[in-house]
Amino acid sequence: MIDTPAAPAARRSTPRRAEPVNQHRRAEGRAGYVLVAPTAVLLSVFYLWPLAQTVVFSFTDWNPGTGLVTGSVGFANFTHVLTDPEFGRAVANTLVYVVTVVPCSMALGLVFAALLATPFRGRALYRTMIFTPYIAPVVGSALIFSFLLTPLGGLVNQALGLFGVRPIAFLTTEPWAMVAVVLFSTWQLVGYTMIIYSAALTNVPQSYHEAAKLDGAGPIRRFFTISLPLVAPTSGFLAITGVIGSLQVFTQVYVLTGGGPLGSTETVLYWIYKQGFVLFDGGSASAGAVLLLIFGIVASIVQLTVISRRDSVELS
Amino acid sequence: MARTSLRRALPHALRHLILILASVLFFGPFVWMVLASLKSSQEALSFPPTFLPQEWRFDNYVSLFEAVPFGLYYGNSIFVTVAATIGQVVTSLAAGYAFSRLHFRGRNVLFVVLLAALLVPFEVVFTPLMSLLASLGWLNTYQGLIIPNIPSILGVFLFRQFFEGFPGEIEDASRIDGAGVWRRFRSVMAPMAAPMIGSFSILAFVYNWNNFFFQFLAVNRTEFFTIPIGLSQLQSTHGTSFNLLMAGSTLAILPVFVVFLLFQRQIVTAMSGGLR
Repeated sequence: MIDTPAAPAARRSTPRRAEPVNQHRRAEGRAGYVLVAPTAVLLSVFYLWPLAQTVVFSFTDWNPGTGLVTGSVGFANFTHVLTDPEFGRAVANTLVYVVTVVPCSMALGLVFAALLATPFRGRALYRTMIFTPYIAPVVGSALIFSFLLTPLGGLVNQALGLFGVRPIAFLTTEPWAMVAVVLFSTWQLVGYTMIIYSAALTNVPQSYHEAAKLDGAGPIRRFFTISLPLVAPTSGFLAITGVIGSLQVFTQVYVLTGGGPLGSTETVLYWIYKQGFVLFDGGSASAGAVLLLIFGIVASIVQLTVISRRDSVELS
Repeated sequence: MARTSLRRALPHALRHLILILASVLFFGPFVWMVLASLKSSQEALSFPPTFLPQEWRFDNYVSLFEAVPFGLYYGNSIFVTVAATIGQVVTSLAAGYAFSRLHFRGRNVLFVVLLAALLVPFEVVFTPLMSLLASLGWLNTYQGLIIPNIPSILGVFLFRQFFEGFPGEIEDASRIDGAGVWRRFRSVMAPMAAPMIGSFSILAFVYNWNNFFFQFLAVNRTEFFTIPIGLSQLQSTHGTSFNLLMAGSTLAILPVFVVFLLFQRQIVTAMSGGLR
């Protein structure tokens, strides 16, 4: 716009000079609204409006089955949610999930990323195989697990039988059902953490490794003293996205255990789903969702600060 | 001499050993799935287990299509996935360009609203969203499966980021040539974004194909079942016929696996670059 030395450009823009610059700006502005409109409108209708309703309904006795709201109930839904032992159990289950799946998937992902950091024959194949569970539809891969874990004739129980272990009903007894959900989720997530760690490891300057090698540091020592500290911001990022992701766990629980046995694998989202779609207690479902939202926002704010820190490390 | 070569070879061998073990654990289940889908239901659970089927039962796949209308589910999944993906790409490309290159009143406010909406997962709003779809008459419809999934905040961010990092001279040149904003967008900027369109389409395709929770809530009539929903239905009706279940899983996983093999590099770059 500013430097227009080219002759043809100058010639062509001569008639346009007559028009005020404002007109261009206005045309651009109109185009801006039109281009943003589809996203803005759809987002308002299918996201922000239901969000507003969630907040409002959390103070009412809304019935999602009939759509009826008879009145405000104040904070009764929140007291119900926070005193409901089933909600407490769902929170506890989600916590178990967080403290097992998140660190295990991160540790394994980092180990694989480190093993695959330098080029060698077969690297791409290994990476593909480890990553596949992450892109496979959860329903399909959870069905594979239910097949592998079935008590009579399942591969896992047959293998355990070689060591004299009696068949375990992994998906229908406590605490094994939760163990199965945790194992599946870790298995499913490692591909993602591996890819993110791989990207972080490529940002670790090779000269650091060269220098340490000259000082006689072996690969394991270099991993702990160079790679691990330098990917710390990525670890923070993965930890928080892992926590946020665990608030959204539903499909594998639904397919593997159906929340059972006796609710021992029900997560927070599963609890909200049951309140709204099975018990038609929309007020409590909304109150649970609001609590989920508050927790998610806090985690996201922490995440945003972690990301900004991560970028500054990468740039330096 | 021999010692130094051993010291070199040992870590290498150890690395392969760990990775082979990992590959068996992470990819083995898929191999087992395909093999089991070609066995009889007894052989799938036989003791001791067989690796290759004793008798290759390709007709399991025929039985699967007789047990449930899997072809219909496939069609539904493909249609819903493709339509939602196109919608996500087009709207995100448009909004990402506008947020990056055009000046209009309220742009920054809108963008902050978008940023804030990113903090709200779909899981928070699904109860009222489903009753909204019910009052629109959109439960058990294609539009209900597709349209609510079209707005993609992530997509807008990815495209905005792309255009931000894109040199402005080319657009300026065509502006000076007298090209209006629409022509610049259509014939200069959108084609330039082709690599980003490619990466985002693939991510969106995988996401939409696997979108169980939303589809699970939005449909309960078999005419509108997608592959994930059809599979979970198959589990409740044929829960012990593991050969059929594995045939269904194989068909569900196959399309994303093929897309992944073809576009592996784009997926990985998009995930590690943009999808933080």
